[in-house]
Amino acid sequence: MTPEMMTNLKLFAPEIALTFFLCTLFVYDAVLPSLRKTLFPLIVIVFGMGLAIWATADVATGVQTYFSGMIANDGFGNFFRIFFFATAAICAIVAYGSKELETSGRTEFGLLLLCITFGLSLMANATHLLTLYIGIETASILSFAMAGFARHTLRGNEASIKYLIFGALSSGLMIYGFSLIYGYTGSLQYAEIGKYLTAHADGRPLIVLFALFLIYGGIAYKISAFPMHFWTPDVYEGTTSPVATFFSVGPKAAGVAALIRFFLTACATKTGEGVWTSIPGLSLPNAVAMIAAVTMLIGNLSAIGQTNVKRILAYSSIAHVGYILMGLVGMEKTGLTAILFYLVAYCLMNIGAFWVVGIVSDIKKSEDLSAFRGMGWSSPTLGVCMAVFLFSLTGIPMFSGFIGKFLLFGALLKAPGFLWLAIFGVLNSVVSLYYYSKILKAMYFERDEQVVALDLLPLHRAGLVLLAIPTVVLGLFFGPVIEFAEKAVLSFL
Amino acid sequence: MNILDWATSLQAYLVVGTCLFLLGVFAVLSRRNTIGILLGIELILNAAGINFVAFSKFRAAAIDGQVFTLFVILIAAAEAAVALAVILRFYRLKETINADEANILRN
Repeated sequence: MTPEMMTNLKLFAPEIALTFFLCTLFVYDAVLPSLRKTLFPLIVIVFGMGLAIWATADVATGVQTYFSGMIANDGFGNFFRIFFFATAAICAIVAYGSKELETSGRTEFGLLLLCITFGLSLMANATHLLTLYIGIETASILSFAMAGFARHTLRGNEASIKYLIFGALSSGLMIYGFSLIYGYTGSLQYAEIGKYLTAHADGRPLIVLFALFLIYGGIAYKISAFPMHFWTPDVYEGTTSPVATFFSVGPKAAGVAALIRFFLTACATKTGEGVWTSIPGLSLPNAVAMIAAVTMLIGNLSAIGQTNVKRILAYSSIAHVGYILMGLVGMEKTGLTAILFYLVAYCLMNIGAFWVVGIVSDIKKSEDLSAFRGMGWSSPTLGVCMAVFLFSLTGIPMFSGFIGKFLLFGALLKAPGFLWLAIFGVLNSVVSLYYYSKILKAMYFERDEQVVALDLLPLHRAGLVLLAIPTVVLGLFFGPVIEFAEKAVLSFL
Repeated sequence: MNILDWATSLQAYLVVGTCLFLLGVFAVLSRRNTIGILLGIELILNAAGINFVAFSKFRAAAIDGQVFTLFVILIAAAEAAVALAVILRFYRLKETINADEANILRN
């Protein structure tokens, strides 16, 4: 083994650790199926993710690409690695208490979860179109299987089939975009593509723009941004709650990372410490601003008329992608820092909100607003935690969502000419208050005719409180996380 | 330039690739049968594959495009396996594989 190979493998240690635990789980599940009913799968996943995070911290020195320039190792990518591993561990815990997944399905869920996490990590760290493709497809193909977890219900199957058709189509179009870019620039490496596009700015054929649009479409499908957002509510509603919880956080964050990495490296040049300028003849800020505006508008307006809480949260997750994209408009470090901070806050509050919906639908067999009636009084823990998550999602001061939005809007004001987007974003937040408060109103101001006792598992109680506390604390003591995010952005390759 | 020269030029490959791509998009938009839609998507993937091989020979003079095509073929097979399983499950419950019948989840 050459020394270079050793370095490569060392830098890939987090993913290798993940694969090891994946294989462990797989073998144990095949040999000793009785372990499915125990805590064993959960322990393996949480321990494995912990180890992967530790391995990430271990390799987080230096900025370089490895495996012949296919994958990047930088602070930005390592931030996302830790993010995905933590999300996977939390989602495994969410799935453990869920009644929607049968006991035998829990290990399968864990296996798919780990595989998808591997794909997400590749997506976020890719510096080569082939790695990006493999990452996206690893995540997508397994997600199709995961979406169909409710296999005996028509809704679950419909969710799976919709996810499949749109996913396969968007990735097919993306590949066609890759082939056109490859033909024009003669390279698959992001940095080489960027160099060629900058050097040959004059007389650039229109087909390059078309190809970039197709590539954006493929990534937009993963983050459910306009124009590939329409599958989101159907899939989230049809599939089981733990799956929707994971889909709304993990793949979105990976898509955002891939989007930032691709467009900042291949379609922009670094002009200073944490400052990028888009290549001549291509106005990335304007394009991103338009997409962000349309995405949040669609998400918020569609959420207003909904009565299914999972559907409301699905549309709200589209709107949040719109807010996140605002951070990319300025193309400099404060915006990217804001995006990373917002993702952390979003992860906590969104997983929490989806988890509450999952718990309620387990007990009441319904996700409708009516199922939440009087919940604030019949189960104070559930009510208070949900209220915290919803306040934070709205962006009310004192909660982490507010700080996230504050940073995003602040970064936007630094970019000249985008005041309109900041005002638009604030107006959108006001609209979102309406549909979030509909859930709050149902929980606290409406009475249920038949009172169903909501008994929570200790796991649920502890888990929700552990998600609610950082949601509040991050709204008050946000310094360390922002510093961490800033460091990550500054070491962007 | 005679026909044989043209047939081995970059343009010829690109024309075939573009035709496949357009046919694939047309199939996806016009088919109601889920398997028909998947076949359309396969056409799009193969169009990209042809482009990659052609560009790798004529444009980049490196084999990375051909390697990419191998990966496209491989991943398309994996995708088809999962897709057929999902469609089969849908068929068992609904007794049809018509995409229009997947219509319970609505506003």
